[in-house]
Amino acid sequence: MAVVAMDKVTIYGTRQNRKKILEALQRRSVIEVTEESSEENFQKLDTAKARSLFDKAASAAEQALQILDQYASEKKGLFSSLEGRKQLSAEEYYTRAAEVDQSMNVAKEIIQAEKSKSELLAEIQRRENQIVSLLPWRNLDVPMTFEGTKKTAALIGLFPEQQSKENILALYQEHFQRDEGMEKEPYPIEVQVISQSQEQTCVFVLCRMEDKAVVEQILRTLGFARPAVFTSMVPNARIERHQKKIAAAKKQIQELEEGIRSYQTQREKLCFLYDYYTMRREKYEVLEKVRQGKRIFIITGFVPHMQSQKLEAELSAVYGAAVETEPASDEDNPPVLLKNNAFAAPVETVLETYSMPGRGEVDPTSVMAVFYYVLFGLMLSDAAYGLLMVIGCGLVLHRYRNMESGMKKTLTMFLYCGISTAFWGVMFGSYFGDAVSVIAQTFFHRDFSIPAVWFVPVNEPMRMLIFSMALGIVHIFGGLAMKLYMCLKHKDYTSAFFDVICWYLLVGGGVVYLLTVPMFLQMAGLSFSLPAVVGTAAAVCAGIGAAGIILFAGRSSKNPAKRIAKGLYELYGVTSYLSDILSYSRLLALGLATGVIAQVFNKMGSMFGGGILGAILFILVFLIGHTLNMAINLLGAYVHTNRLQFVEFFGKFYEGGGEKYTPFAVNTKYYQVKEEN
Amino acid sequence: MENLGIVFALIGAALAALMAGIGSAIGVGIAGEAAAGVVTEDPQKFGKVLILQLLPGTQGIYGLLIAFIVLSQIGILGTPVEISTAKGLLYLAACLPMAFVGLWSAIRQARAAIAGINLVAKRPDQMGKSMIFAAMVETYAILALLVSILSVVGIQGLNL
Repeated sequence: MAVVAMDKVTIYGTRQNRKKILEALQRRSVIEVTEESSEENFQKLDTAKARSLFDKAASAAEQALQILDQYASEKKGLFSSLEGRKQLSAEEYYTRAAEVDQSMNVAKEIIQAEKSKSELLAEIQRRENQIVSLLPWRNLDVPMTFEGTKKTAALIGLFPEQQSKENILALYQEHFQRDEGMEKEPYPIEVQVISQSQEQTCVFVLCRMEDKAVVEQILRTLGFARPAVFTSMVPNARIERHQKKIAAAKKQIQELEEGIRSYQTQREKLCFLYDYYTMRREKYEVLEKVRQGKRIFIITGFVPHMQSQKLEAELSAVYGAAVETEPASDEDNPPVLLKNNAFAAPVETVLETYSMPGRGEVDPTSVMAVFYYVLFGLMLSDAAYGLLMVIGCGLVLHRYRNMESGMKKTLTMFLYCGISTAFWGVMFGSYFGDAVSVIAQTFFHRDFSIPAVWFVPVNEPMRMLIFSMALGIVHIFGGLAMKLYMCLKHKDYTSAFFDVICWYLLVGGGVVYLLTVPMFLQMAGLSFSLPAVVGTAAAVCAGIGAAGIILFAGRSSKNPAKRIAKGLYELYGVTSYLSDILSYSRLLALGLATGVIAQVFNKMGSMFGGGILGAILFILVFLIGHTLNMAINLLGAYVHTNRLQFVEFFGKFYEGGGEKYTPFAVNTKYYQVKEEN
Repeated sequence: MENLGIVFALIGAALAALMAGIGSAIGVGIAGEAAAGVVTEDPQKFGKVLILQLLPGTQGIYGLLIAFIVLSQIGILGTPVEISTAKGLLYLAACLPMAFVGLWSAIRQARAAIAGINLVAKRPDQMGKSMIFAAMVETYAILALLVSILSVVGIQGLNL
């Protein structure tokens, strides 16, 4: 239970060692570099340009990997995200770093290939469109730009609807005679229908050269139009040429795809490339915070106290740097790193989602951990579910040892919660709800059930409610105790008495007094009776507490009237204690929800009766129902345990607001570089 | 007319399942729309927004729970029992907290969940807090569930 003590470390190094020292620091990942105001003779580098270059390189690697995934995706297991990053030794790192330029070329080639591929695809599309528009002209055996011979003129075009050759000739004659006079013989034309469809008729019309203008004019009034496609070739030849080009493009695409696939073996290099540039980017980000002199440079930062000696020794021995170490004070506002034993550490992730301990606050993790496991177990409270959680989390933890630490902590937390769930399940006699007795009755016609070690909440909900609230009082008093501890640690004895002890007296006295009231006992179904003296004593305690709060809670005000008013307002806060305690009734409600829903599913399963078919259906309903129930109640238990911790428990003493310790490190996606020793 | 007891009791059970179920269906539905929007931008957030989407789903389950306890107590599931009119009305009254609070709180919780989904879309590290906001609303559904359960269990022992 502790916030790790931080040292403020200042490193002075010579410029020629800058790169090496920074790299060593990054791989060691113990220092969180802070930004200090620049002094005279020192300046800071502007690395924005370099960083954007690295960003570009990293995103190129990422893009190449994504392309590679499309063609030959890597086989990934269901739990591959749990496997964690691959380990690399420093030596391997340097050999790989030397190959970075080569990998960059691979990435570029992949991206280029993908680009050419999409260009080719666009070309294919374009040619296919042209083929479609040329198809109606397929039977034309002259080029589409054919104008005619010396004596004749050719008119190639289309009519907007289906027309036959006779029809066109008849219409032509009619229109010719209307325009040019009835007595005139129509100019001779030759019409050849090339293709027809519902929407259009493609025609080839031949006439004498000198008649061309007149003929075209008449045809136009009939709806004749020049085609939208033009090609200097015979349409069929043109189509064939397009088809050949398309085939070629398709082949080229295949080659490109083969090419990309052949880079599959380079995947690891690309992963490394991505990590490499992410790392360099981070390094340059830190470089910006480094104060640079003519010959030396200065880095300041926070290092956990345990590691600062070792770091100092290494830096001065290997790189000849001078290192200054002093314990960080609260004014420095050091980042927060938590260190807890194996039992409590998993809950750190929950604390993190709330807030890290602020300046001068203690780390509440270890106290919180005990309550967390107990409350979670009570909400789920089924021995079988708990056992499944333990087995599931245990197997995953055992199988994937190299998991990211956050994931590992969360799974370990659920493992412990599972143990607690199983424990409470045994206490309350719940094994997949009432599955045991249902199975015994339906299939073996026997009355058999595993008795509860303590009691069955479904049968005695009042008892469970009282227990939940009692636990709530313990939890809230635990929160107050944390506050007391903090006050004593800061030697703030007045606060310790008036802000904590008085509340203990008031709430504790009130609760004990309530227990002496017969009506309450009857309502709660409790059978004991306390002697009247206890009631009086409790009332006196509560009175002292209330008086202390009224008189001293507003002690920061000088004005006595204002002070009393403030005190009365503080006393009003007793209602929040009441609602806090009532809030623990969710332990009962969620516990019942798990048990009763499980019963519902067991009952549904048993409705099909005994026998083979009944058994099969029972198993089916059982599997689906309990998976659903477990999932929904796990979520509920997780969310509401968090709530009880954050609101009821933390509300009493914890503010948070600390900055999480994020050392200058190798924050990579695929590889993890291990420093020797 | 003396058989009306079981009718009232069944109306109560149906209301609990019905209204809480409707609330959850609406809630999970609108939260799902918001969640799908986030996933279009970043498919990796699927797991996180799914949890937030599911939060307003519990009311429907609480409703089912109450309905089930009532059904088994009034003998529609299991051995038939005689239910007097007064007892039937009591069951109906006992179901009302879960029915109404279930309907309203699920919809309101869904709105808090949607806000949480938007929060996670911008700041995925704030998942814990966004869950708590929605869970705050659920408190009242749990309180209603508690009152309904205690009443339903209590009614059985009454001699009416």
